[in-house]
Amino acid sequence: MRNYQNMVFSTAMRLVANQAEAEDIAQEVFLKAYVRFDDLRDSPTAGGWLRTVATNMSLNHLSRYRSRWSFFSELFSGGGEEDEKEPEFEAPESIEEELANDDRRTLVEQALQKLPPAQRVPLVLYHLEDLSYEEIATKLRVSLGKVKIDIFRGREALRKKLRSRIGEETRAA
Amino acid sequence: MQPEYERELEAEIDRELKGLQALSAPRTLAARVMSAIEGQAEMAWYRQPWQMWPAALRVGSLVVLLVLFGGLCLAGQRLEHGEEFIGAAHRLGHWLSGASALGNAVSVLLNAGVLAAKQLGTGIIVAALVAVALGYAMCLGLGTVCVRLAFARR
Repeated sequence: MRNYQNMVFSTAMRLVANQAEAEDIAQEVFLKAYVRFDDLRDSPTAGGWLRTVATNMSLNHLSRYRSRWSFFSELFSGGGEEDEKEPEFEAPESIEEELANDDRRTLVEQALQKLPPAQRVPLVLYHLEDLSYEEIATKLRVSLGKVKIDIFRGREALRKKLRSRIGEETRAA
Repeated sequence: MQPEYERELEAEIDRELKGLQALSAPRTLAARVMSAIEGQAEMAWYRQPWQMWPAALRVGSLVVLLVLFGGLCLAGQRLEHGEEFIGAAHRLGHWLSGASALGNAVSVLLNAGVLAAKQLGTGIIVAALVAVALGYAMCLGLGTVCVRLAFARR
């Protein structure tokens, strides 16, 4: 479990953007794995299985506990991002002590978590879970066109956030 | 949207996201999972997931389900082709008709049932029986949920 706990938690965290919910999902994933322990113990695909289950459970969680309208609505794709709830994410301990790459990764992670779910979820599925546009559309039960538009807008929003955060950091330094 | 701009944007975001490392899971996660597993292990076998049942019980439950299914199929076939069943229904109806007017009604109903069974065919009869079984299981499940909710609030 210790070998996979970071991977499972990361998968859930990047999709649901909430630490407590991601921890709950990770727990459920490992309970499911325990039920199938005999099959998974020596399986070389155990990591992939855990990742897939974590992804599916996170998506189920999002569609179950958030209104589908507000979650996948086009309304989220536009402005109004300032009204989004701030994700619960730990602040970097000390910028001076971290290497430049770690700084950047932290900034990317934070910027990603601040994206609206309608953009973040397909973006994570495409770039981190390596799903195709078609697979994402099937999983999220939305049209292919919407997936492409949401991912494009998500990329633009992420780049904008990153550039503005990096600019702030540079000015502060 | 310009293709060149899109490609450049996709490559940049892909590079940034692929460069991310796994987040550290909270230290409490492992303890929570272990505690949940211990809690599950302490539950009675019938409250655990089917995969966790003892092997003999798993085999037994499969056999029971197969026997039930076979029984349903057989019963459907008998109803469809059972001349003796029609005869038995007639005899039963005859006995009952002698007793009271109620017997006549039962006899008519039984005959109608047999005729209906012959007309409908095995598939529909089995489907109807399965639907009844599913309805029963659903009622049982809802009852269980209600009981669990009632206990959970205490």
